[in-house]
Amino acid sequence: MAQKTYMQAINDALREEMERDSNVLIFGEDVGQFGGCFGVTKGLFEQFGEKRVRDTPITESAIIGAATGAAAAGLRPVCELMFVDFIGVSMDQLFNQAAKMHYMFGGKISIPMVVRAPQGAGIGAAAQHSQSLEAWFMHIPGLKVVLPATPADAYGLLLTAIRDDNPVVFLEHKLLYGVEGEVPEDAGPIPFGQANICREGTDVTIVAFSKMVYSALEAAETLAGKGISVEVIDLRTVTPLDIDTILNSVKKTHSLVVAHEAVKVAGVGAEIAAQVAESAIDYLDAPIMRVGAPFTPVPFSPPLEEAFTPGAEEIVAAVLKIRS
Amino acid sequence: MTKSKEKMIQMYMTMYRIRQFESKLQEFFADGKIPGFVHLYLGEEAVASGTCAALRKDDYITSTHRGHGHVIAKGGDLKMMMAEIFGKSTGYCKGKGGSMHIADASLGILGANGIVGGGGPIAAGAGMAIQYRGEDGVVVCFFGDGASNQGTTQEALNLASAWELPVVFVNENNGYGISCPTSKSMAITDIADRAAGYDMPGVIVDGNDVIAVNEAVSAAVERARKGGGPSLIECKTYRWRGHFEGDACTYREKSELDEWVKKDPLPRFSKKLLDDGILSKKELEKLHAKIDTELQEAIAFAEESPLPEPADIFEDVYA
Amino acid sequence: MITVGIIANPISGKDIRRLVAHGSVFDNQEKVRIVRRLLVGLAWAGVKRVIFMPDYYAIVQRAHKGIDTPIDIESAPMCAENTQDDSTKAARLMAEAGVSCIFVLGGDGTSRAVAKGKAKIPILPISTGTNNVFPFMIEATIAGLAGGIIASGQISLEDGCFRSPSIEILDEEDSVFDIALVDAAVHTDTFIGSKAIWSLDQVSQIFLTRCRPDSIGLSAIGGQLHTINPEDQQGLHLLLGEGEKRVTAPIAPGLMQTVAVAGEARLQPGDTIFINESPCIIALDGEREVEVRRGKHVSIRFSSDGPLVVDVPKVMTLAQQAKLLVQ
Repeated sequence: MAQKTYMQAINDALREEMERDSNVLIFGEDVGQFGGCFGVTKGLFEQFGEKRVRDTPITESAIIGAATGAAAAGLRPVCELMFVDFIGVSMDQLFNQAAKMHYMFGGKISIPMVVRAPQGAGIGAAAQHSQSLEAWFMHIPGLKVVLPATPADAYGLLLTAIRDDNPVVFLEHKLLYGVEGEVPEDAGPIPFGQANICREGTDVTIVAFSKMVYSALEAAETLAGKGISVEVIDLRTVTPLDIDTILNSVKKTHSLVVAHEAVKVAGVGAEIAAQVAESAIDYLDAPIMRVGAPFTPVPFSPPLEEAFTPGAEEIVAAVLKIRS
Repeated sequence: MTKSKEKMIQMYMTMYRIRQFESKLQEFFADGKIPGFVHLYLGEEAVASGTCAALRKDDYITSTHRGHGHVIAKGGDLKMMMAEIFGKSTGYCKGKGGSMHIADASLGILGANGIVGGGGPIAAGAGMAIQYRGEDGVVVCFFGDGASNQGTTQEALNLASAWELPVVFVNENNGYGISCPTSKSMAITDIADRAAGYDMPGVIVDGNDVIAVNEAVSAAVERARKGGGPSLIECKTYRWRGHFEGDACTYREKSELDEWVKKDPLPRFSKKLLDDGILSKKELEKLHAKIDTELQEAIAFAEESPLPEPADIFEDVYA
Repeated sequence: MITVGIIANPISGKDIRRLVAHGSVFDNQEKVRIVRRLLVGLAWAGVKRVIFMPDYYAIVQRAHKGIDTPIDIESAPMCAENTQDDSTKAARLMAEAGVSCIFVLGGDGTSRAVAKGKAKIPILPISTGTNNVFPFMIEATIAGLAGGIIASGQISLEDGCFRSPSIEILDEEDSVFDIALVDAAVHTDTFIGSKAIWSLDQVSQIFLTRCRPDSIGLSAIGGQLHTINPEDQQGLHLLLGEGEKRVTAPIAPGLMQTVAVAGEARLQPGDTIFINESPCIIALDGEREVEVRRGKHVSIRFSSDGPLVVDVPKVMTLAQQAKLLVQ
């Protein structure tokens, strides 16, 4: 067992895949010698050279589009968006091109590419550098959407993403980069669509992903003190969505809270709530609760950002509301 | 400048194949035989034919919404194309794509594209793959005058020049972006002028002269193969039909079209082939008949092919 | 009212020689700036009115819009067809309208098209093209001054201009149907295609009205053997093919080639050479222009009757002597 940060785990996965497969290359803004805006690609430029770790102009359409074209022509590009918010500049290349090509062309072309992007609030980066946009990607048929919470998952899921023959959006929470965790020496790829039950419980199911998993576990601890046994499910990927694990848990606990940092309106929680309602409403003893950010842009000033960002407290409140 | 007889005949046949294919589609659309909408390439045949005749099978192209000509010129199968446009399960995309989304990786066709300017960055990416592998392939990015204004195109031109990618940007300037004349959409008139801003050669050719197109693209392709980087070739041409079939073309004068029809690239080239004794009248008729038969077979194939089953909607879904 | 003509070719400087050689990219924005500078020189010389050739980029209108000038501009009464015939037609219409000098922005090809209009008035060609032997590489303000001085009669045509010779292309009835100002070449290809010539492999003979060792283009080949100045009323005929000499010359910007010369002869006005080859292409001033169909033939004649050209250095020297710009 090795203790690693989330960032190191991502870096290791990139390095190992590049060592394993010469078709894997990295490009994006400042990913080269600079090592990436958050330092995720540090050392890769030195090891693999500019040919495989390439700085791009600050033109996100060209980044996503070049990854799409390179993938169509047989490479396995891993491109980085400096902030997920910048996807707006390049959305056409992702959702109209990369995501649709395989299906729209009758399976004639595959696009094995990964778009890595940090997301999330918490560093005072304000409205255009702090969003959580997984629901956007989840809404597009043709994209796999990965949101690891732990270093081990970041490592294993990224291996899978790079080996996948289709476009994967790999969303890293900025505040997790420094989080340490155990990554087994013999860790391998973690399949998509397999949620992780991080804490077993019997009274209520909390579904979370990315950084919100930690808030859910913290809430579970607090609630345990109040005699409520919480089951925490880390989805790991929202597309594909492991709805079976959620349903099985709900059938046991009869209540569900879905928590994410993105705004609550039309978020992943809404989709999960709807699917559970459609398939398991008879098992539910209480309304499904969603925890998410208020429907505002992410504000800048620390107290405002704090007010925006949901956490353990909001999850506890949601659980208590349905248990009362 | 020398061109073999075979190559000249091949270029003519490609133009004729496109002309007949598109004319049939025009008819089928009017008769309500095909679903959706189609953007016909009539009048612009010399661009696709002259360009693709300069390419190898393993070279790539990215195409546009007006893409049938490019696909045919790159070697696309008429049967599968026709079946796709009919929405049949035997089509290129099994009925999932239609007119605007035909692709064939085995021929290097990275897809027609429903988004104006969508192909540029993809072309740059394919060029990047070629460069990465140290191969001598080339990518042709077909794009229109409208696409030349899109940010994606500018980003692709920039990336291709910054990285010296083997991409030849072939601009089809047909004078209109849907209904809007270029005079209203850009302050300049020659898209080739934009090349200077990206430190690449910018050349204008008569887009209705298949030889002129072929000479310029051949030179650009040769340059790119040798590592000389990208170039931009503007082909001045004209769209005979409206933006889409059913477009009444209220925004342009009929006389303008008439002038361009006089510059029809097909008779212009066939006359030359006849005059120079490259083809006899009889041989030409034989070639026409061969393609007409090929097209009839494609139509029969499309008509006889089954429609997809509703359950096929989930085929090729991975997420 | 002193009136001059401006023919600015929007398409010059954009042909395939940017790919097969290293020709400059001459964008239309630069042509607009050149016309602005030209207008400044013209205004100083007293020119009041400009008749221009309409073109799809509206070079002269854009130039006029961008500066404060007393000069009025007016389009020649024609529609742009966007072919070289526009230049020929514009030159004729300008002559009819009484302009006293025509400024030409383009390369050898544009000047040739203007000269085809057979106007009796002097032309002043400014280089904005690819192969520029005929037009002057000159600052447009000076060109405006010199041409304006000629147009306003401050210096006479006899003193300030020279007659350039030309090469005439004759059909089987001996009628002139095309001309070249600098060079004509017989090319064994049968296609005009992208027009330019960047390889001599298929060129069998070359006719030159002028050549200098510092020329560019096909005349550079002759220029390595002889010097013939534009006003010399003498030409040169080169037969290419294995022979005693091999000549290396810059046949396009940034493109050196070596060619074997089998024979050469001076041409005097009126000398006519029958071209035996058929089919073939005749390239005029570096561009494939004339298709000679199978079984048809043309002849090539050296003529002393080319366009009258403003000699800018001479005009400016005379202007200095006459203290035209000294108060």
